[in-house]
Order: sequence, then structure tokens, then C-alpha cells
Amino acid sequence: MDNSRRNLLKAAAILLVDHWATSRRLAFASVSAENPRRKVIVVACGGMRRADTFSESGFQNIPHLYRELLPQSAFYPFVRNAGVTSHYNTISSVLTGNWQRLDDWGKTPPASPTLFEYLRKRMRIAQDQTWFISSNKALTSRIGASSVRDFGPAYGANVVFPKQLLINAVVHAAAQGNAVHSTDRATVQPEIEAMLNSDNYDGLGWSISGDSSSLDVVTLGTIQQAIEDLVRTNAPATGDEFTLLVSEEVMRRFAPSLLVITFSDMEVAHFGSYSLHLAGIRTVDRLVSELWNQVQTLPGYKGNTTVMVLPEFGRDLDGSATNGFFNHRLDNDSTRLTWMMCLGDAVRNVQVIEHPADQTDICPTIAQLFGIKGIDLPGKPLPGLWL
Amino acid sequence: MNERQNNAQPEAGGLTTYSHLIAQLPVTLRPSLNQQLSQWDTLFPFEQNRLAEFLRGIESFQPSTLDALIQPLRALEVKMGVAHWNFSTDGDTVENASLLARSEYYPEWRRTVQKIFEAVNAASRDSAPVQAKPVRLVLLILPDSLPVNPQTAWQQWGPRGHEVKLAGDSRRLIELLVQGSSGQPDIATLLARNGSADSSDLWLIDAEAKLGSLLSNVSPVAASHLSYAALVPFRDKLLAGLNTIPRSIEGADQTIAALRREDWARWWPPELTGQPKLRRFVLDLFLTGNGALVFSNAFVEWGASEALRRARPRVVVARFGMRSKPKPFTSIAIFENQHTISSLPDVDDPEGSAIDAAILARYVWLAASRYPEQEQSICVCISEYRNSAYVIPLAEKSPGWSPEQALTPEEVYTWIAGQIAT
Repeated sequence: MDNSRRNLLKAAAILLVDHWATSRRLAFASVSAENPRRKVIVVACGGMRRADTFSESGFQNIPHLYRELLPQSAFYPFVRNAGVTSHYNTISSVLTGNWQRLDDWGKTPPASPTLFEYLRKRMRIAQDQTWFISSNKALTSRIGASSVRDFGPAYGANVVFPKQLLINAVVHAAAQGNAVHSTDRATVQPEIEAMLNSDNYDGLGWSISGDSSSLDVVTLGTIQQAIEDLVRTNAPATGDEFTLLVSEEVMRRFAPSLLVITFSDMEVAHFGSYSLHLAGIRTVDRLVSELWNQVQTLPGYKGNTTVMVLPEFGRDLDGSATNGFFNHRLDNDSTRLTWMMCLGDAVRNVQVIEHPADQTDICPTIAQLFGIKGIDLPGKPLPGLWL
Repeated sequence: MNERQNNAQPEAGGLTTYSHLIAQLPVTLRPSLNQQLSQWDTLFPFEQNRLAEFLRGIESFQPSTLDALIQPLRALEVKMGVAHWNFSTDGDTVENASLLARSEYYPEWRRTVQKIFEAVNAASRDSAPVQAKPVRLVLLILPDSLPVNPQTAWQQWGPRGHEVKLAGDSRRLIELLVQGSSGQPDIATLLARNGSADSSDLWLIDAEAKLGSLLSNVSPVAASHLSYAALVPFRDKLLAGLNTIPRSIEGADQTIAALRREDWARWWPPELTGQPKLRRFVLDLFLTGNGALVFSNAFVEWGASEALRRARPRVVVARFGMRSKPKPFTSIAIFENQHTISSLPDVDDPEGSAIDAAILARYVWLAASRYPEQEQSICVCISEYRNSAYVIPLAEKSPGWSPEQALTPEEVYTWIAGQIAT
């Protein structure tokens, strides 16, 4: 990404986080003796086939993961998604450790407690210590907390959909007949402002909505400038790049104990462009590397952070009746069998752990990593990690 | 050109009989069958025959045999709690698909349904006369604007075919096919001579408007012709309607149902005048996603695959084309219509389009390979940019030329014509 575009997106990312912090009268992380020392970042990367990633034909698409990060990792090549291979159900299953069978469009919250809730309730950590930041428009803010009576939104994560904010602004501007053009930047600007000002806006997805808040004059002015700059640029900006920048800003500002990021540029596959799908995989490959470098740089993360990177699922097999790479519906290894890379603090040794695992094993692994005891989950903690 | 009527209509009262038969089946089997029945007049002849045969197969069972066959599915539906679902039996819906897919019994349901279909189809086949299977041609064109990678172009096409170098202008082949020449009839005439009477036997699907321009030079041809370029006004209007879908499954079904009911008459291109089946096909195509509304090459692939599934034609010609690069903002809102989102000029993406078209062309052949008559199918995929073709002959047959031999378009067409006339 060129520097000018990155700076613009970065400015927008800072503004988003500023807005959240201002509305809660926070500037930086809350100081709490309860906040755990260990930190975990989970990165879920939409649907990517093993054939397009960790295979002879796929290595070229993931140079950072394969050449730079694999030699530092505990790598699990056989991780299975045995649940419903839709985005909302898969992410909910990873977060809860139970296969979820929910409305695919996120109408209902997970049916069992999420890691966020376990962490906040059992470890008594502050609200700003659990975040879910996602590019995926198939998710909703309900993913941040379950419907379980003793848990629920009071213990949920902060859920943010940065890409959705931009999409909504652009689409709304288009619906009003305002085409986005470098000379017509004023058309998008009011839309993004309106999104930021609207309370409980699902697309923005602040799950723990405080009082209705409007932007202060300084923030508003900066947003106006950033949006003007963003519209003026002619270079394409991907949603995942913006999601990473918001995530990095959250890391700098709050250093959350548990941060879950989901990327989705590769989901352009649903529209049948294989070249753009591969471009999405390459973008995620680069962004994971950037994130890892950020973890090595930030004092709040360096030396105490475990990063887990995994596709949500694969994609359907070439020649299937479900139209191959377009979709992820097939009950087949191409769709269900995926991988996971574990980096950082919890990694005992650099190794490939061929022992088969389920995605529902991730929740008990993270729970144990944080020292959360007494939770009854069907999965087992993953081998090869310091827990 | 108007569609020709299928003369395989059911006898008087036949549809009502079919409806009663469907009502006896387990709940989760009914939506698809009822939907087809309700759209009987816009089904292609193959679909009408297949539905009629399936229901005749059901009818051929003794009641006790049928009961034994469907009992496992009924029992499974009880375990799944189908009776408590908001499950439509009138037709396929997004909500139906979602309810089934998130049931823990979904894989078992799929297997059970598959068994029922296999048993019914076997019964139906036993009572039907054996018919000779004519040769099917799948002709795929990667136009000269697409710089297909010579290292990987044909790598994944499997061992049944091989590459053929083309001598002369490879663009000539499609002209010969559509227009014929002094020594060779066009493909429609060839099909007519070999017993094809319905326009659903010959499909021409084009990302651009090249095939249409060839057709305009000849007398009316019995073909189903779709051009993405010609459909753009309809597509834009439909896409605008789809983008009003609220964020719920119920809302999606309601919006889709409303879009199906809408009168689109003034948005259809002139080529589809008087062609209700083809209009319905396009509407179904766009409403079933798979990128058909967004990228022209996805439209061609999904259109050709659906034509193969629904019409089982003798000939499918699919011509791919150029996609524009994503514009600023549209790369984060790719589902949108980037022509309305951004007034910046379109910029072609030849390399990306070539990658897309190459895999999607192979997907069309893979779609053709799913059906029992695949052994009687031949495929020619031409890269005009490379003056090269990948030719798949009939199973276990050799095309009769050596792989090193460069062929003229005339020679390839003569071979195709000979195969079709078999």
C-alpha cells in the first residue's frame, strides 16, 4: 500500500478508536490489577482452501506465512471445521468452543458463553480488554456476547466493523445518487459522519453502547479532513487493510488481553473472481506479517502475546455442484479441513503438530492460557503450547 | 426469435396429479418439486421431462414400497424438528436452505434424500425406453484480449484432452460455427438436421456482444442467446433492488419474491422479446448469486453451468471477456455496481480477467462432466491470444490428429461438425 493511502486509512482508524474512547471518557487502557499479563490475538481469515495456501500450488500466495512466520510457529496442518461452514456460525464456534447452529445472518447471539465473557467475568477484566474487530459484513455485533443468562452483553467484547462503516457510507452516498469521484468528495463525507453519529448502528457495531454520543468538535473536524483525503485518493483501499489499521490503533491505545480480528477480502470469491480471491489471500498474508511485527514492537505485547492465525474454513472443490471456489458449503475436506498457525508466547517449540484438531479446541486452549478454570467444554486444549 | 413450444406437455389434469403426488412426499422434498411445477410453462423441455419422469417413478411404486423408501426421511425430519420450522413447501427459499444447513442432521439428510432420488430415478429409468445419447459440444472461448498464461493455461484440464496449436486466425472458428461457410453449414443447421427442434438445444452465452453481432448476419437461428453486455440495464435495475434487502433471512426471501413478481418488461433487451423461458432463466441466474450480477465472466460460467444442468443442450458456446479493475471504494464494497458508485473511467484488468476466465472455462467443462452423458461430450476451449486450443474428444476416442499438428479453424470445425453429426 502506498504511503499516502496508508496515512489516510490510518487517520480514519485513529478517529474510529478516538470516537469510541471519547464516548467512554477513556484515552488509554484502564489500569486494573486484574488484567492478565498474557495476551492473545486470534486472526480468522475467511474461506481459503489449503490448495491455495499451505500446499505446493499455494505457497506463492502466502510468502510471509510460509517463509517468514512458519519457521517461528507451532503449525497445525489438520484443523477441522465440523460445524456449519458459514461465517457467523464458524466464528461463534471458535469463540465458544461449541459448534453453534445459529441464524447465518447473525440474528441471534451465540448459544453458549464466548471467551470474551469467560475472560471478563471470571478474570474480572475491564471492558476495554476484549475486542472483536471484523471486516466481514456477514457478522453482526451479537457475536460479542452470548444469550446465556449468567453471562451476556454485560461481559461481552467491544465489536467493531470498520469496513462496514466505509461500505455503508459509500453505498448510501450512491443510493442518494452521489457518485464517488475525486472531484466530488463532499458526497461521502456527510455519510460517514452520520454513521459515526448514529447510536447503536449495527454496521458500526458498538456492542456495548453507552449513552448516545456525538462527536466532539475536534474529532469531527479531523474526521472531515480524513474523509476528504480518503475520497480524494484514487488508489483502491481494501477493507482488510482498514481493519488492520483500526486493530493496530486499538492495540496501541488499549493493549487488549484478547483481540479477535477477522479478515474477509478473499470472500470476493463468492462473486467468481479467482484472481481477486488470490489477491485477498495475499493481502491477508501481508497483513498478518505486519500484525506480528506490531506485536514485536508494542511494549504491551512484546514477549507476552500468542497469535493464532486460521482460515475459518476452506472453499468447495473444483467441479462440485456448489460451484467450486465460489462457495463454502460442501461437506468435504476441501471445505472443512484447514490449518492453524500459532506464534509467540505459548509456543513451546517450532514444530508441525500433525495431531488432528477441531476448531472448537481453540476456546479451551485460550481459556487455559489465561488460567480460566472450571469451564466445561467438549474440546481439548491443543498440544505443543505452554498453557 | 420466439421460443418453440415443447410438445411433451402432460395430459389434461396431469399437473394436478403431479401436485397430489408431491403432497404425499416428506416435507423437505416438496419445495423444489412444487417450485418446478408452479413454473411449468417456463421450464425447458429437459426439466419438464425430468420432473414428469421422477413423478412417474414415484407413481410406479407400490404404496408399501414407497412408504418404506421415504420412511427414513420422515423419521429424520422428526429428529430435525422440521414441523416446528418456518419451512416453505411452495418453493426453495433462503430460509429453507439456512434451516437445513444448520441442522446437525444436515449431512444425514443429504444422504437420505440422495438415496430416495436414486431409487426413484432407477424405477423411472426401468420404465422408460432407452434412447440414444447424442454428442454434446462445449465450446469455450477465451478472447484475444485475455493474456492467458502459457505455462498454466491447460495444466489442470485432466488427461482426457490435449492442446492443439491453431494455424491462422483462431477467431475464425466461432464465425464458422455461428455462420457456417460455403462448404459447411452453421451449427444450428447441423443440429436441426440431426433432430434438434428446440432453442434450448443450442446456447450462446457471451460476456460481451460478439456472438450477437455474428448472429445478426444470418437468418433467425434456433438458439438461446444471452449477452451480458445486452443485459446490463436489467442487471443494474435488479442489483439496485437486491441492495435493498434488509439484514435478515426473512427479509431476503421477501425481497427476492417481490423482485420475481415485478414487471421487468421495459428492462429486457430486444433479443429476449417473446422468450419467457429465457427471461425466467436470466432472472433465476441473477437471483441465485454466484457472481452473475457482478462480473461478466461469472455470468458466463454460471449461465453455461445452469444451462447444462437445466436444459442439457446439444451445444453450449461460452465466450468470456474483460473485467475492469476495482475502483477506489468499490474494492471495499465489491458487491455494489461500481459504475454507479464511481464516475472514474473503467480500466481493463487483462491479467486478472485471464486468470478468472481460464478457471471459469474449466468449471464449465467440469459442470458438463457431472452428468451421465459426459462420455458423449466433447469440449474445445480456445485461447485466441495463444492461438491454441484444448480439445477433449469423446471418452476413449482419439480426435485422429497428432498433438504436434497445427490445425486451421476450418479443420477444427470440420471435426466438430463430424462429431455433432454422429
